Amino acid sequence: MCLTPKTGRMERMLEIKNLSVLRIERKKSVPILNDINFAVKEGEMFCLVGESGSGKTSLALSIIRLLPKSFKIAYGEILINGKNILGINERSMRNIRGKEISIIFQDPAAYLDPLFTIGTHLQESFHGKMANKKELISLALQEVGLDSEIQTVYPHQLSGGQQQRVMIAMALINKPSIIIADEPTTALDVLTTRQIISLLNAIRLKHSPAMLFITHDLELAMEIGTRIGIMYRGNIVEIFRPGVQKPYHPYSKILLGTIERKNSKLVVGVEKNKFYNEQISQVCVFFDMCDEKEENCKKIIPFIWHNNETGVRCIKSGRNTQV
Amino acid sequence: MRKLLHRLKNHSRLAYFSLWFLLVFYFASFFADILAPYHFDHQFRNKPYHPPTKIHFFDSRGHFHIRPFVYNTVVDDPVFKTYREDHSKIYPLKFFVRGKERKIFFFFKTDRYLFGVDQPAGIFLFGTDNYGRDIFSRLLYGGRISLSISLIGVFISFSLGMITGGIAGYFGGIIDQTLMRLVEILMVFPSFYLMLSLRAMFPLNLSSIQVYLLIVLILSLIGWAGLARIIRGMVLSIKEEDYILAAKSLGLSHWKILLFHIFPNTFSYSITAITISVPGYIIGEAALSLLGLGIQEPYPSWGNILSSTIGNLRVLGDAPWLLLAGIFIFVVLINFNLLGDALRNVLDPKNW
Ligand SMILES: Nc1ncnc2c1ncn2[C@@H]1O[C@H](COP(=O)(O)OP(=O)(O)O)[C@@H](O)[C@H]1O
Ligand SMILES: [Mg+2]
Repeated sequence: MCLTPKTGRMERMLEIKNLSVLRIERKKSVPILNDINFAVKEGEMFCLVGESGSGKTSLALSIIRLLPKSFKIAYGEILINGKNILGINERSMRNIRGKEISIIFQDPAAYLDPLFTIGTHLQESFHGKMANKKELISLALQEVGLDSEIQTVYPHQLSGGQQQRVMIAMALINKPSIIIADEPTTALDVLTTRQIISLLNAIRLKHSPAMLFITHDLELAMEIGTRIGIMYRGNIVEIFRPGVQKPYHPYSKILLGTIERKNSKLVVGVEKNKFYNEQISQVCVFFDMCDEKEENCKKIIPFIWHNNETGVRCIKSGRNTQV
Repeated sequence: MRKLLHRLKNHSRLAYFSLWFLLVFYFASFFADILAPYHFDHQFRNKPYHPPTKIHFFDSRGHFHIRPFVYNTVVDDPVFKTYREDHSKIYPLKFFVRGKERKIFFFFKTDRYLFGVDQPAGIFLFGTDNYGRDIFSRLLYGGRISLSISLIGVFISFSLGMITGGIAGYFGGIIDQTLMRLVEILMVFPSFYLMLSLRAMFPLNLSSIQVYLLIVLILSLIGWAGLARIIRGMVLSIKEEDYILAAKSLGLSHWKILLFHIFPNTFSYSITAITISVPGYIIGEAALSLLGLGIQEPYPSWGNILSSTIGNLRVLGDAPWLLLAGIFIFVVLINFNLLGDALRNVLDPKNW
């Protein structure tokens, strides 16, 4: 690992190695995430795209170690600024949450405590020197385009967009090196979505944190992402650079096809029951749905890296992936 | 706080009135030493079962007096305790009269009371009891004991219930199981019998301060279990809320989350619950006193005032004004219920 001279930080701020997560359900264990591998660098906007139930939120919660009790991290490493957080105790983890890594959730109305003013929320998220508190709070508010007066107001008195700006200000206030945004615009209207997206992008360009942007909207990801990871049933099936490469995996192609043809009818649907009852399958995850499957696909397919940054989980990888 | 008051006022005028009524009443009991015309054990030996004193503006010759006055009374019929006014002399009502020295809360001495009349006449707003003691004064002094028992009792059960319910609900597992079994053991006993048997564990001849503390202890020990169960249930659901996850993601410790996010979110329920439970404590004290196990004479409490007045049905027929004391206590309790009901809505942030 190399240190970038400019900031002195590790270049790979978030790195996930061979992560597998299970859900324990009455003696049965259901795979939620399977063999996840990727790294997000400083200043990067890594977009994680997948339909609902594919495990995006579970991945985000694994990274801050706040998975529900029934979930178990079965295997793997999660490195934050080079430190494996799966090995540290809860107290040290608390020092990382909110400071080195912060998270913005999907539905801001539900994630703000209804009893407390915006000011209280911001003060609570602030971990730095008390002397700078007031100043940094109004600075953070200014940065997300909110008035300082908003501090006296209760969450329910704000619009969805304003609430999400507050969440962003809370995430920003300690200048974390990693920001995770889990579908931050899903609860918002189209226009507000645009504003929030450009705000997040501006923050990325200004502070260059490693950003993990989770969305179900591939079109949006293609527009803002520096890299895109496609998730399917708890697997990352492909990582590619939008604009540089075309996605190769059959599932990515189907997702992309639905955008290009503006065809709202998705060809694939996750058969949920089947997924639940299955142990880790002995064939390619996409086997049942794939149009291009072969006899060779009836085995566990490893993730094949093209280089350090992109790759695909498909046996026919490597052919014809350049634009 | 001011906002809350405003909301309460907008939500329900009646409850707002209840709040002020109760505040005024607490204030009055607190300053009973100044406000009560007589000390609680001051006896008019020649005036037992005296009806409420009539306050006059016109004397027997029809002259108007700007200052209201009373007549002294003399026993008319010693068997049935009827009284007749002696019209020969008027006793004007005086404010800030001088009288026997009393200590306000054992510290400050005062010899002036808010109002009174010269001896041998008496002013009895609610009449007198069998010893010729002014019931109104005793109600004020008794309020001091009954209301403070209920407040301290509620405070103790609230803290116990909050802590056990909160810890059980938040941490779950074996801690939860242990605490809840303990609570259930307490809850299987009917509270009235539990109260009696707890009282029976202690000797009868305790000093009045010991009895006072004992009653507080017994009542709060009975009250906390139910609250703990309810709080636990609320914590179980609140801890799954998204804003708790968000608070955790900020790196807050368990204690901070419990203290600053989970407990406050139970308040809309628990504050309502304790407001409504205050009458239970007052009645619990009354029940013990009624059975002679509570605050002992001559110290007044609402319980033993009730037992010495409306507790005796035979007397009630001859002296119906004794009911006034009961009605008075009833009104105080009703006000707690009215206030509690309104608070349920006012404290819910969704109604703000
Ligand atoms: N609290 C939970 N209890 C049980 N199952 C859950 C819970 N949260 C998520 N899951 C299951 O875990 C899988 C991944 O869910 P999630 O990570 O929320 O996906 P996404 O965020 O992509 O929609 C889904 O199959 C979902 O049903
Ligand atoms: Mg999700």
